[in-house]
Amino acid sequence: MSGVLVTRATTPIGERLVRSLIADEHIGHVLAVGPHPAHRALPFSHPSRLTYLQSDLSRPRAIRKLLYGPARDLGIETVIHAPLHDAAKDSGRRVRAENVESTRELLRLSEEHPTIQRFVYRSYAAVYRVRGDQPTLLEEDHSLNLSPDTPQWIRDRVEADLTVCARMGMSSIKTVVLRVAECLAPGTGSQLYDFLQFPVCLTPMGFDPMLNLISMQDVVRALELAIRSGEQGVFNIPGKDTLPLSTAILKWGRISVPAPSLGLSTLYRARSRLLGSQFRYDMNHWRFHYSALLDGHRAKSILKYTPEHGIEWPVGRRASSQ
Amino acid sequence: MSIPVPVAKRLARKLLPEEVYERLTSVQFNDAGHGYDPFGMHPVFVALGAGLVRPWYEDYFRVKSYGADNIPSEGPTILAGNHSGTLPVDGAMLWTDVVRQTNPVRVPRPIADHFVANLPYVSPLFARGGVVGGSRGNVRRLLDNGELLMIFPEGVPGITKPFKDRYKLQEWRVGHAELAIRHQAKVVPVGIVGGEEQMPNLHTFAVKWLGMPVLPIPATPFPLPVRYHIHYGEPIDFGERYAPSDCHDPAAVAEAAAEVGTAVQALLDVGLSIRDGVFA
Repeated sequence: MSGVLVTRATTPIGERLVRSLIADEHIGHVLAVGPHPAHRALPFSHPSRLTYLQSDLSRPRAIRKLLYGPARDLGIETVIHAPLHDAAKDSGRRVRAENVESTRELLRLSEEHPTIQRFVYRSYAAVYRVRGDQPTLLEEDHSLNLSPDTPQWIRDRVEADLTVCARMGMSSIKTVVLRVAECLAPGTGSQLYDFLQFPVCLTPMGFDPMLNLISMQDVVRALELAIRSGEQGVFNIPGKDTLPLSTAILKWGRISVPAPSLGLSTLYRARSRLLGSQFRYDMNHWRFHYSALLDGHRAKSILKYTPEHGIEWPVGRRASSQ
Repeated sequence: MSIPVPVAKRLARKLLPEEVYERLTSVQFNDAGHGYDPFGMHPVFVALGAGLVRPWYEDYFRVKSYGADNIPSEGPTILAGNHSGTLPVDGAMLWTDVVRQTNPVRVPRPIADHFVANLPYVSPLFARGGVVGGSRGNVRRLLDNGELLMIFPEGVPGITKPFKDRYKLQEWRVGHAELAIRHQAKVVPVGIVGGEEQMPNLHTFAVKWLGMPVLPIPATPFPLPVRYHIHYGEPIDFGERYAPSDCHDPAAVAEAAAEVGTAVQALLDVGLSIRDGVFA
């Protein structure tokens, strides 16, 4: 297998992925791209098989320079991409450019590229619409969250996901969209991780939905399987941990305090302003009421993906170390 | 939020004899990793549910069960019964009866109307006991896993039917038959006698603004101590007559559903003829 281009290479998942790709002798060259200067981008190097490039992929010119410069020279065959902006509080045109326009441009230029044959896009479980009258297990054809009052963080991800899906089967390159469950780890844009950073977690009174969470190891493994597979399509990537919200809070060593749903949005907005938290209740309102789990049957049968690594829960770790 | 598992465990142990508790908590289920199945069911809550319903089942409604050995011990199965009583007590009695009568224990998965998911406290508690929202995706997945579904094809019009229409099946929906044909599941018709007199319904108001389809006005503020008689019919195996692809044939589905409805009505007629009285 020839070279792989990894965008967002300086995020925790990106770093793990790059490290894993380098360890795979079947991969030719890894071209890692991130917003940081090279000297503080990746804590490891591999002179013969890893190239790091600092680039602002929200600018079309930068994408063109990347693809028709180093990517072409290194014979990149696969592009792995994800929305670039994780902060849920931010909004506006610049954020949209990073999440949606970068994806559109990268895909468009990849389709015309002389060496790129495969485009793997990491999407999110958050693109799905969650309501009480919908199935608990969401298949890939489940409704997407196209509600007009959806926060930009989700709207951008739905739009970018649809942008990639719309080109599937329409060009010479093979496209894969992985809708990945929430990765409960720092630096991954996880809303739940941010939610659990405070000792007291306010939850909607009278509800305790089931959640599905994925570890970073499984995200990386799913991406690697998507690179190796010759298939294209949309795949749900569930994690190994399926549990109620209250149990997740307990296993993280936090206290769950039920509160009327009406006031939660205001309370969390105030907390976000005062303490700088990224957690937005309006983004999580529905999934804090209704269970919504990814159905990973398609990924299992086609990509041969099954979740293997659970989350390292702080409470469990503490108990096992005693 | 819901009741923490250790609290539920303690409560269930107090409410049930030890051997029953052990039997219920050792039930085979699709554990998704933390002791819950993907729909939120937890065996300890199954035991708690059985413990909470026990006084009602044994002492208040004095349930009598007939033909529970007709429930297959494994494989995708649908229990299809008549629905009535203003409050879903019939569902609770049927659920408890199946849990108590089957060996090895089969936990029926009651299919609830969509509005149940919106009810605070009720929805998580129901989910822990095995109740599942009535979406196509959910029921398909359960049948694929070989589970036992509990469906009331009459739906809300059944539970809120006027007293004068007791033991007359309301519009018998066909979804259960379609599912049975698609998944080659057996259908066990269930006739529940007693529930239709527990809380006579005087009038029904449409209250969608409350998050519920209707608000019934019963003649009594609480269910009367009627005696429940639960009759299980012979399982109907549609797999012998229909291929899975026949689920797309409206005529085949309607015919299968009518067959189930007729079987349920026959069980009700027999049940009514052999009982000594509403409270006896």
